[in-house]
Amino acid sequence: MDPTTGLTQAESRELENRLNKRQVKEFMNLFGNLVDNCFTSCVDDFTSKALSGRETGCISRCVLKSMATQTRLSERFAELNASMSAELQNKGR
Amino acid sequence: MSLFGFGKAQPTSAERISAVENELKVVAEMHTRMVKICTLKCVDKTYREGELSKGEAVCLDRCSAKFFEAHQKISDHLQQQSQQQGGGFGMGA
Repeated sequence: MDPTTGLTQAESRELENRLNKRQVKEFMNLFGNLVDNCFTSCVDDFTSKALSGRETGCISRCVLKSMATQTRLSERFAELNASMSAELQNKGR
Repeated sequence: MSLFGFGKAQPTSAERISAVENELKVVAEMHTRMVKICTLKCVDKTYREGELSKGEAVCLDRCSAKFFEAHQKISDHLQQQSQQQGGGFGMGA
């Protein structure tokens, strides 16, 4: 069930406002985590101050793979969450 | 909303917005945790490839399903416990 049912239009708009603000924050978080993860996994040689070709390649593969992971898990999450709420509703609430 | 019955005071607008916001927050948090944990468990961090391998993809699918099942099981357990002990998450009295 859509949890936003039961809110007035003005309330929905206020909620949307708050969610938009959160989304910006979450995106920054995601970006920060991506940098942390890929940097940690790919860069461990500090004999030069420039990223090596190997490190650069590793970072771009890391970004691609992380996004693929995120997408796949989000799809599964949506499916599982939908079936879980459907089940909860069948139990009668 | 019949949920709130007639006896109780109607929740204020701010309370209603917060209630929906919290509900969404719980789901978003669960999503973040699941992505973090299943990535850790399934995805090889050497990044020789920019895409998920077949094995990793299958692992992610299974990991997410299991994460949900564990979530459900643990929530059932806690609910049972708290019913037996009349509230609270107390560990064996």
